[in-house]
Amino acid sequence: MRNAIHQTGLGWVAAGVLAVLAGGCKPAPHPVEPPVSAASAAISYPAEDYREQSRGRPGGTLKVSVAADTGTLDLHAISHTNAQWLGRLIYDNLVYLDAKGEPSPWLAKSWTISPDGKTYTFHLRDDVTFSDGSRFNAEAVRLNLEHMRDPATKSPLAAAYIEPYADGRVIDEFTFEARLREPYTPFLDVLAQSWLAMISPKQIRENPRLIGEAPAGSGPFVVERYTRQQGIRLVRRDDYHWSPPVIGHEGPAYLDRIELEFVPEALIRYTSLASGQYDFTIDAPAQNAAAIRADASLVIQSRVRKGIPTRAITFNVTREPFTDVRVRKAFALAVDREGIAQIMGFGEFKPKTDYLAATTRYYDPSFQDALKYDVPAADRLLDEAGWTARDGAGYRVKDGRRLSAEILAAESATPGALTVAMQSDVKKIGFDLVIVQLPAAQLTDRRNAGAYQALSGGVWHTNTPDALYILHHSRAITTPKLIGQNTSRLQDADLDDMLAQARQTVDPAVLSDLYSRAQRRLTELVPSVPVYENLPIIAYRRDVRGVVFDTSHNTPVFTTVWLDRENP
Amino acid sequence: MRLGKRIFLRLLAGVGVLWGAATLTFVAVNVTGGDTALAILGGPDALPTPEVVARVRAEYGLDRPLIEQYGRYLARLARGDLGESYRLRIPVTRAIGQQLRATVELALCATLLAVTASIFWAMLTAKRARWVRSFSSGSELVVSSMPSFVIGILLLLVFSFRLHVFPASGSHGWKSLVMPALTLALPMIAVLSQVLRQQLEEILEQPFIVTARARGLGDAAVRLRHALRHALIPLVTLSGYITAGLLGGAVIVESLFARQGVGRLMVEATTNKDVPVVLGITLMAALVYVVVNLIVDLLYTVIDPRVRIG
Repeated sequence: MRNAIHQTGLGWVAAGVLAVLAGGCKPAPHPVEPPVSAASAAISYPAEDYREQSRGRPGGTLKVSVAADTGTLDLHAISHTNAQWLGRLIYDNLVYLDAKGEPSPWLAKSWTISPDGKTYTFHLRDDVTFSDGSRFNAEAVRLNLEHMRDPATKSPLAAAYIEPYADGRVIDEFTFEARLREPYTPFLDVLAQSWLAMISPKQIRENPRLIGEAPAGSGPFVVERYTRQQGIRLVRRDDYHWSPPVIGHEGPAYLDRIELEFVPEALIRYTSLASGQYDFTIDAPAQNAAAIRADASLVIQSRVRKGIPTRAITFNVTREPFTDVRVRKAFALAVDREGIAQIMGFGEFKPKTDYLAATTRYYDPSFQDALKYDVPAADRLLDEAGWTARDGAGYRVKDGRRLSAEILAAESATPGALTVAMQSDVKKIGFDLVIVQLPAAQLTDRRNAGAYQALSGGVWHTNTPDALYILHHSRAITTPKLIGQNTSRLQDADLDDMLAQARQTVDPAVLSDLYSRAQRRLTELVPSVPVYENLPIIAYRRDVRGVVFDTSHNTPVFTTVWLDRENP
Repeated sequence: MRLGKRIFLRLLAGVGVLWGAATLTFVAVNVTGGDTALAILGGPDALPTPEVVARVRAEYGLDRPLIEQYGRYLARLARGDLGESYRLRIPVTRAIGQQLRATVELALCATLLAVTASIFWAMLTAKRARWVRSFSSGSELVVSSMPSFVIGILLLLVFSFRLHVFPASGSHGWKSLVMPALTLALPMIAVLSQVLRQQLEEILEQPFIVTARARGLGDAAVRLRHALRHALIPLVTLSGYITAGLLGGAVIVESLFARQGVGRLMVEATTNKDVPVVLGITLMAALVYVVVNLIVDLLYTVIDPRVRIG
């Protein structure tokens, strides 16, 4: 999904100007709080991160700044990252994940899956209403799934996530049966994601265009006013009492109101938080993290998102020179991911060498040394592959051709720091990486046509290890008929087999084995170079209490947030 | 009669300008290439199903030949229909309408500020001691050549982060309007007061000023009652420059101060290839130019009778 935080050139210049002029801004060197577990294991955050620890005090208005506007509040119709936390404010989902990442009840109290894995029967809560007064029931679920896949909704994501869904049947008012064309175990996972939230059936039927501006959800807050380019004003729903059991919260949210404003400039998000204009920022800039830590009145937190980590480069394995796995591997070994993570994240980011985010279920840390930074090994591999001669500029040559490739990147004033750092890293092993910047639309064209040697960047947040299928299965290669995310155009029968089997498997032991093998296979195939974990950073004033994280997206949930003030 | 014909010809030319702007933007948007349907659906990081892509192509007429798309587009424009925003999923007129008030507020405040401040400043500094003039023209040069986001950040540093007088962002009340308007106005003040001062200095040499002084009028009265009126003509000529400054400046100022407005809508629309919104705002800007030019033209005939005769 698209990354909402665009670091504009303006921001960088602004930061520089501030640094020069402010003087008083103290860059106190502060140790980075390490995540709970060491780098050598899967990351699992403590259960308290996901569960309310004690009751809060009701009342007050929380002022929040956020980088970007989604343009519409119909989450079925967008793929924007902001939907992750926005969904938890306005809407609810059928399913929630528990702290371990397994599906757990929410609007669906329980469910059964038929032995062939193709029929899901959901038993729904009978006490849930939407903010427009309509009831949540089996028909509501059916209409929501239809709305997601209705081409008129123009869904860039939700529709694809429920692609195997064939049809739904209302068994009785609170029992819904979903029939799939083929077994698809990620079904429950995706139903827990905010892009697949439940919207009022009345609104879907009578006025679907209004969902974008004045949505009727069943969530803990109701949109009072949404002003594009400015913000969203939300008010508490007093009769809300159906937050996910995993959160351990009873009754309505504590805050009376939330006033959310779009503040595109990173610098301003930091300074306006520090000056107290806002209580909370959902997109805290990494470059100000040290200053936020040094400020006793502020709290900074970050949790690694699930899914696929940020990639530095994706190789097109069907194009020279990346048809040779030795070249791909040598390239990966030569990229100093520690260094790049430092440059990009100002000490906040976690470098990454394997293919699944360490917070994802069935992540296996065993293979993270396979592509560890090792320049001599990279040189040996290229020698082995026959790239032994060097030209005048110091680049490797074979049969009169220089070891070189073009990497396509989205157009901007200056190429991204990440790509430039990688370019100088691989120069050391005699690889000439040429950065080609294109307007976004042309980039999309080339990408879909497979007309590239390599692509820069890319992340994929999701809450399921099925992310590996979405990115690496051969059925996810873009064709004239289908748009897919396998941009390395990798076709590996073994990998395909593991990932397809995993979609049909329920047994955790078998799943664990399949996903583990798939992760190992990827470190052998090297379709791309993962560089760091995807890490959203939030910051807030110290008197903002009760922040818990969403189990699907690791973004903040506001139902449990309260203000520890005299007059909140 | 002559004035009526003049207005009619001007309006006709205005329609021509609008048509030209519409055509140019249409061409510009289409030569950059790329699949608009996919851009609408979230670019490279989305997973639209084939049904969804097909639907988007058909609904927005993207599967038609370009010339047909152009024809339909002009026909819609003629009816005053700017189409629907790809990203916001609402009519473009509504999308712009929602943002218009904030931008007009900002523009009016900035203009008011620029005009009063530059008149005041020019009157104060014209034909004064050498050091006063070199100081004022020097500072004007610095301010007018500073990018507006640098000015904005300087103001933020002083008034928001240090003194906490004005909020750094948002659009609530007059307080949040002060710094954006000032940021927008400062470069204009610099240019306008330079022009005004030069004009004033020329006029203050004129015989009728000497006569006025000879009648025993004080310096302030001479400047205010006699010189100023004559010096204001170039200000009207510069209104085209002012309009351009306002429209262009709004893009940066609104983003920097997180104000809502048409400028920021334009930025979002451009980055997201929201073609109908880009076209809509371009046309709106062209319309503003045409109207401003028409008004200026008519104003000339009021201020300077020679134009009427010629």
